[in-house]
Amino acid sequence: MKAPISWLKDFVDIEISPQELADKLVSCGFEIEEIIYQKDKIKNVVTGKIININKHPNADKLLPCEIDTAKEKITVITAAQNVKVGDIVPLALDGAQLANGKKIKAGELRGILSQGMMCSGEDLDLTENDYAGAGVYGILILHKDTPLGADINDIIGNDDVILDISVTTNRQDCNSIIGIAREIAAVTDKKFIAPDLSFNKVAESVCDKLSVEVADYNLCHRYMAMGIKDVIIEQSPQIIKKRLKAVGIRPINNIVDVTNYVLIETGQPLHAFDFDLLEGGKIIVRTAEQGEKITALDGKEYALDKDNLLICDINKPVAVAGIMGGEFSSVNQKTKTIALESANFARDSVRRTSRKLNLRSDSSQRFEKGVDFYSQELGLYRALSIIDKYGWGKIMDGVIDKKQAEISNKEIVCDYSEINKVLGISVDKDIIVDILRKLNFSVNLDGNKLTVTIPLYRIDVDGINDLAEEVIRIYGYKHLVPTLLINTQMVRGGKSAAQKLTDKIKAALIAHGFYETISYSFISPKAFDALRLPNDHALRKTIKLRNPLGEDYSVMRTTLCYSMIKTMASNITRGNKQARFFEFAKTYLPDSLPLSGLPVEEYYLCTGVYGDNEDFYTLKNVWEDIFDTLGIERDYALSDISYLHPGRGAAILGKNGEKIGYIGEVLPDVCKEFDIDKRLYVAEISHKYLIDNAKVVYGYKPISRYQGCERDLALLMPKETPVKDVLNIIRANGTDLLEDCEVFDVYEGSRIPTGLKSVAVNLSFRHLSRTLTDEEINLVIDNILKGLAAINAHLRQA
Amino acid sequence: MQEKIKEILTKAKQRILDADSMQLINEIRVRFLGKNGEITALLKSLKDAPADQRPKLGKLINDLRGEVETILIEHEKNIAEREKQKKLKEERIDITLSKNNRKIGALHPLNKVIRDICYIFIGLGFEVKDGPEVELDYYNFEGLNIPADHPARDEQDTFYINDNILLRTQTSAVQVRTMEEQKPPIRIVCPGKVYRPDDDASHSPMFHQIEGLVVDENITLCDLQGLLDAFAQEFFSSVTKTRLRPSFFPFTEPSVEVDLSCVMCGGKGCSLCKGTGWIELLGAGVVNPRVLEYSGIDSKKYSGLAFGLGVERAAMIKYGIPDIRLFFENDIRFLKQYR
Repeated sequence: MKAPISWLKDFVDIEISPQELADKLVSCGFEIEEIIYQKDKIKNVVTGKIININKHPNADKLLPCEIDTAKEKITVITAAQNVKVGDIVPLALDGAQLANGKKIKAGELRGILSQGMMCSGEDLDLTENDYAGAGVYGILILHKDTPLGADINDIIGNDDVILDISVTTNRQDCNSIIGIAREIAAVTDKKFIAPDLSFNKVAESVCDKLSVEVADYNLCHRYMAMGIKDVIIEQSPQIIKKRLKAVGIRPINNIVDVTNYVLIETGQPLHAFDFDLLEGGKIIVRTAEQGEKITALDGKEYALDKDNLLICDINKPVAVAGIMGGEFSSVNQKTKTIALESANFARDSVRRTSRKLNLRSDSSQRFEKGVDFYSQELGLYRALSIIDKYGWGKIMDGVIDKKQAEISNKEIVCDYSEINKVLGISVDKDIIVDILRKLNFSVNLDGNKLTVTIPLYRIDVDGINDLAEEVIRIYGYKHLVPTLLINTQMVRGGKSAAQKLTDKIKAALIAHGFYETISYSFISPKAFDALRLPNDHALRKTIKLRNPLGEDYSVMRTTLCYSMIKTMASNITRGNKQARFFEFAKTYLPDSLPLSGLPVEEYYLCTGVYGDNEDFYTLKNVWEDIFDTLGIERDYALSDISYLHPGRGAAILGKNGEKIGYIGEVLPDVCKEFDIDKRLYVAEISHKYLIDNAKVVYGYKPISRYQGCERDLALLMPKETPVKDVLNIIRANGTDLLEDCEVFDVYEGSRIPTGLKSVAVNLSFRHLSRTLTDEEINLVIDNILKGLAAINAHLRQA
Repeated sequence: MQEKIKEILTKAKQRILDADSMQLINEIRVRFLGKNGEITALLKSLKDAPADQRPKLGKLINDLRGEVETILIEHEKNIAEREKQKKLKEERIDITLSKNNRKIGALHPLNKVIRDICYIFIGLGFEVKDGPEVELDYYNFEGLNIPADHPARDEQDTFYINDNILLRTQTSAVQVRTMEEQKPPIRIVCPGKVYRPDDDASHSPMFHQIEGLVVDENITLCDLQGLLDAFAQEFFSSVTKTRLRPSFFPFTEPSVEVDLSCVMCGGKGCSLCKGTGWIELLGAGVVNPRVLEYSGIDSKKYSGLAFGLGVERAAMIKYGIPDIRLFFENDIRFLKQYR
């Protein structure tokens, strides 16, 4: 909302500087985006009188002029032909800035020093409309009585200061000069000067000539109209044109300008129809029929549907309600009689239509923010008052006013201490009453009981909390005394068991050198092609956004690995030689598509590593550590996952053989999709499984104080047999004496027969309450070797 | 014989002092004190001495033996110490060298900020809550007093799945869910991902918020300021101040915008705070009684306070990060800076 301070001054005395005013507004809830000093646009341009025009010795077309600026006499060279001695002109001095930002410097022109430049209307952003003579080709000749040496800004009226105010959505009433002026009055302790709403009327009544029918009051809460006859269409006076320009509206003619002027001043959009172009003397407010069309004031034709609210005469639509008038019914140079509309259209209806037609206007923006019931009369009467004052037409008697219901003021009754209970401080009763009254709330005080009547334009206020806010924003937040929940119950806070376990897992990953990543929850549907997932794969069943930022961000991810591969790829592309990453994030799995209820959101842990020191086993080692930390039983089985290397990928199985994740090397073909020729390793594990199955350690297992005994077995066995089978047999036959067993070497190569591999295992034995003898260990080893023979694993003969 | 004793003592002393290794010490020990050593020989020759001198000479020889042994042990200790020192010296390494370059990792800076903030509030008795990101319209809007025709609901501000389901635009959605499930007193913080269709240097289509909610009897605006002061001073610095300004959110009344005294200049005015001395940090307020009622909480008895903080914004202010997109590029050189 742009508010020129000169305009605000029509309604409130402002004696403080623009900066102080801005600070006051911020303190009561209005952020100031910018303070615009119009004078900043044009600098160091003054008025001067041409006292002599000479000939340039070196150029026929250049005229050196001597100019008197009251302070000094200087020479300026011009090529313009429209100047003569005695003319008063705008003169840009050395270092001046013109409206378009151009800087002027003194300089020699063909051997003569020009100490500045005479300006045209365009240089000062003026048109013929703004200043007579500004439209001519050449230098702007100012009025004869213009004082010399004056700042040009003061002469052409470019001297306002404009506040660009951001108005919160609850204060639709402050999207207007009057609304802001009311707030300024309250916060600076000044009186609000009400706008002039008076006008003279002629006897003839508009009600005899025009009737209005509103089909649905839910879409049009109120429709007011009045008539103006013997209308004169002409230019608006300077003050109206200047103010409209200051807020960014182009002046057109007096009637259009006055509707815009009142829109800015009161916040009420108005629309003027040419009465003679309304067929049947009737205005009908109804929704469009499917396929109905209208040509709007912007000259474009719009196809409408039953969601669009229209203003129609008996035969045709004449305006898209609250958004834009129709080209063939609006005010034009020949207009003689006007029906002036002041209505309240439902904001969601205006918004939907505006979006759908891609048609916006100052009016539609105002309706979208919401217009209150009070302002229809205010806006209508204010416009008529201006029209009457300037004699642009005769106001007809009679008011058409169709509305849903009579609106009455809201009333809030409360004890003043209830306001203080919200604030937490004790504001004096008299101060509370005084503040509310300053804000035009009428207050009836009975002991400690307040009966507060709310002005109609304050639709946002309807309870004690609202009153508390009104009081504190004027009284000042600096009066609050910070307290730490002093009158409340203590509660048991902290993290849940699952949150603590998650922290533990993250801490373990970090200790292993992993960096956490965060990537977008939405990915491209093409991700699944890159991952080589079959067409009917469950992970392809994704939730699609209706309005994504682009295809690459259009479906909610069902796996984290695509994002992880992408993260690794972009790091490789940027020359980062090695990295360990993890991401802890949700996947979004729909029950059915299209989505009928909320999807299952499940957290997963995804890890990715690459670099010279990384392979399948380095990543597996990390996860083995985490599983051990959490006490998770698991197993590995060769995987058939489409994006993993067929020989280097494993499904990770839970204690009942269920899949809880996978780990492996990314298929080289998948890496190629990302233009990567390095080996990447990923693992993705169900967070839920880890949390649900993590074992909390209670109790204690005795530690043996006796010496243990170690034995190494060097086995020869078929290449294809996994070592897991060997370890299982050793554990199965190891009895209570076996404390631990570990593979410490695997060898395949020329020193052993083809088809076989050598596996070296270290076994440690120990008894809780005594030292072991060789004999009893040998017995166990014999049993182990017998068991191993069943899978063709035998001791390697030296 | 007495001369002989003296001579041996002088000789032994000399030899011992000249010895510079354990090996020589051992040789000396054998030569003088061994079975066939000189002192032992001397002792054996005692039988040839006159009988009346034997006790005196015997004592002299034993004294000699004792003295040589003492000197020997003494000197042996010195040599052992010298040899140990020599060995340690030889074992010197280049301590400026680093090997085994596996370095510790780190949380993502955003999750680090979330963790730090959660700890502050956990210390004040808060629980940490999670909620759905794909959310019903009701919890994201309607239940927060944002009716269907509210400008905040424009399609341009929200990612929709269908008319009824959307990606939550604010962690405030967890407020309503919590209040439906839990009776007061409630103290929760809800960190999490939220989504809005914006994409530039200061907006990301996915970003993070932390919502705070307290519902109890006697909650006031002063409590809100106290809580935010505690947070700001713990998270930024002990001298950080907060300033409340009136604002508007449909689910709080009164609503405030909370400014932070500038972390760069301390309030004097600089480029970060655009000369104002204050930085806009978060929105907060007293819970709108309507929101309590929607969730079945008696607004006559209970009141609440709520605040919503942009995690990226807090991180960008704290670390001076210029572009929000850096958080989601996951370049390890960026992540490494926040160990």
